[in-house]
Amino acid sequence: MYGKGIVKGLWVTLKHIWGTYAKDIKRFPRRYAPGGIAKRTDYDLYGLFTLQYPEERYEMFPRFRGALMHLRNPETGEPNCTACGACERACPHGVISLEGEGKGKDRKVTAYRYDLGRCIFCRLCVESCNFNAIELSREYELSRYKKDFILELDDLLKIGDKYGIHKTGEAWGVTE
Amino acid sequence: MQVLDDLWIRIAVWFRGLLESFLPPWAVQLTMDVLGILLLIVLGIVVVLAFTYMERKVIARVGDRIGPNRAGPFGIFQAIADAIKMLTKEDVTPTNADRWLFLAAPIVVIIPAVLLYAVLPLGRGMVGVDLNIAVVFVVAMGGIPILTMLMAGWASNNKYALLGAFRTVAQLISYEVPMVVALLTVVLLAGTMSTVGIVEAQASFPFALVTPVAFVVYMLAGLAELNRTPFDLLEADSEIVAGYFIEYSGMKFAMFFLAEYINLFMVAGMITTLFLAGWQWPILPSWLWFLIKVVLVIFLMMWIRATFPRFRIDQMLGFAWKALVPLSLINLFLVALVAKVLEPGWVRTGVLFVSNLALLAGAIAIMAQVARKREERARAAGEAAIKRYYGSEVR
Ligand code: SF4
Repeated sequence: MYGKGIVKGLWVTLKHIWGTYAKDIKRFPRRYAPGGIAKRTDYDLYGLFTLQYPEERYEMFPRFRGALMHLRNPETGEPNCTACGACERACPHGVISLEGEGKGKDRKVTAYRYDLGRCIFCRLCVESCNFNAIELSREYELSRYKKDFILELDDLLKIGDKYGIHKTGEAWGVTE
Repeated sequence: MQVLDDLWIRIAVWFRGLLESFLPPWAVQLTMDVLGILLLIVLGIVVVLAFTYMERKVIARVGDRIGPNRAGPFGIFQAIADAIKMLTKEDVTPTNADRWLFLAAPIVVIIPAVLLYAVLPLGRGMVGVDLNIAVVFVVAMGGIPILTMLMAGWASNNKYALLGAFRTVAQLISYEVPMVVALLTVVLLAGTMSTVGIVEAQASFPFALVTPVAFVVYMLAGLAELNRTPFDLLEADSEIVAGYFIEYSGMKFAMFFLAEYINLFMVAGMITTLFLAGWQWPILPSWLWFLIKVVLVIFLMMWIRATFPRFRIDQMLGFAWKALVPLSLINLFLVALVAKVLEPGWVRTGVLFVSNLALLAGAIAIMAQVARKREERARAAGEAAIKRYYGSEVR
């Protein structure tokens, strides 16, 4: 019959309105709970899938290229970086600048500046590194309130402590 | 129950008594009138706040989204936040705009919208003025926004605005006709033009049951009057950006926005009054019934908006002139005939209901036939063109 499609379309949209509210009631206590995303990924026909960003965040996949991070030696807790300068030379954008002190095996990094605003996340610096000292993290919330896009060594170490090599490294086939 | 039913009237009477204790009679009358007008305007603004929120929520749910949920619990202050944003925005007037016309349009558009509230019976005995030609008043006031839209479109000195205004005028004038004829049907049945009288005439049956055709026609024409989907092509974002108010910003834009939602409430209120027995129906207080019905009608409009794509302009005008006008005219004759022959009561309602359904089915059948014919003709024309191009059969 002519006009059947109109009724059919109305029915579909009604089912969506009513279905999303039904799902809401079913998951009642909280929508933004820590288990919220997992609870919402039952891929039925109806329901809300919107990620409520500040309350819940996606965990990025292991190979995601976010901000640079510095890694520590698990035994001593010191940065792995020897301030050899390989990453500084490898970087096509002059993002990295570093200073070190000491000679030979004792050489240590003292200052490491990473300009987030100019990094293109090409990962050439990581490939050049011979000491497993740096890696691209899964940190993706990189916006700032001011123009202070330069991360110092401490910031990079903090990111490293948060993510760690054992996840990203595995993803890239790096074994310790 | 009785107390709840008369709640607002009692408050008004009590307040009047309070005023009378220390004011001369003319001052009491003046205060009450001014307060009534203020109340209606405030009602308009509250309606806008409530229904923008509702619309966003409903449309979000159709798209499996959550909708506004940041400002306040469940996002209920979203509309207020929007209003503050609108108020603080820069107010731009294009250099080549017709300045005074540009300034006047948003003011003129809001006045008829608020004026219409005067004849809307919000509950038993709750009406601004019980005008005996209320229906004519509604139609007359409904014509003014057409002028303002043309004003806005012309004054903006923008081709999209002007195109939008042209479309608006074509659309609104076309849909005014079936709307008025549907209104006439109701007036014929009720025997009065006063909105209060029409509501009282529906004590036994709502007119939506008596003449479904008029109800459907009025609903569709109302959607067109409101420029809502599927008739929203005068503000079709993808074609002419925003229609006649493209150049407006800040508070002037907010005026158009306000008028749109005030009109939405008004049309839903008119549908409720004319076809769904207004504030009648038992148990709940009358004003609550009215509110429930209006919200349901508005939900229906939002639901339609969330479901259907928009018409093409020639389809839309064709639908008005070739489908709705004849249908409503035939219905008018039918109702006039039956109302003349039969006495009011069960029999008349039954006869009207059945004949209306038959009319509706017949109209749909004819439209289907026409659509099929047209499709066949188009296909034949396409095949002929291909044949002409290739010189033989389609490969
Ligand atoms: S990822 Fe590329 S651009 Fe960024 S610091 Fe490393 S080498 Fe430089």
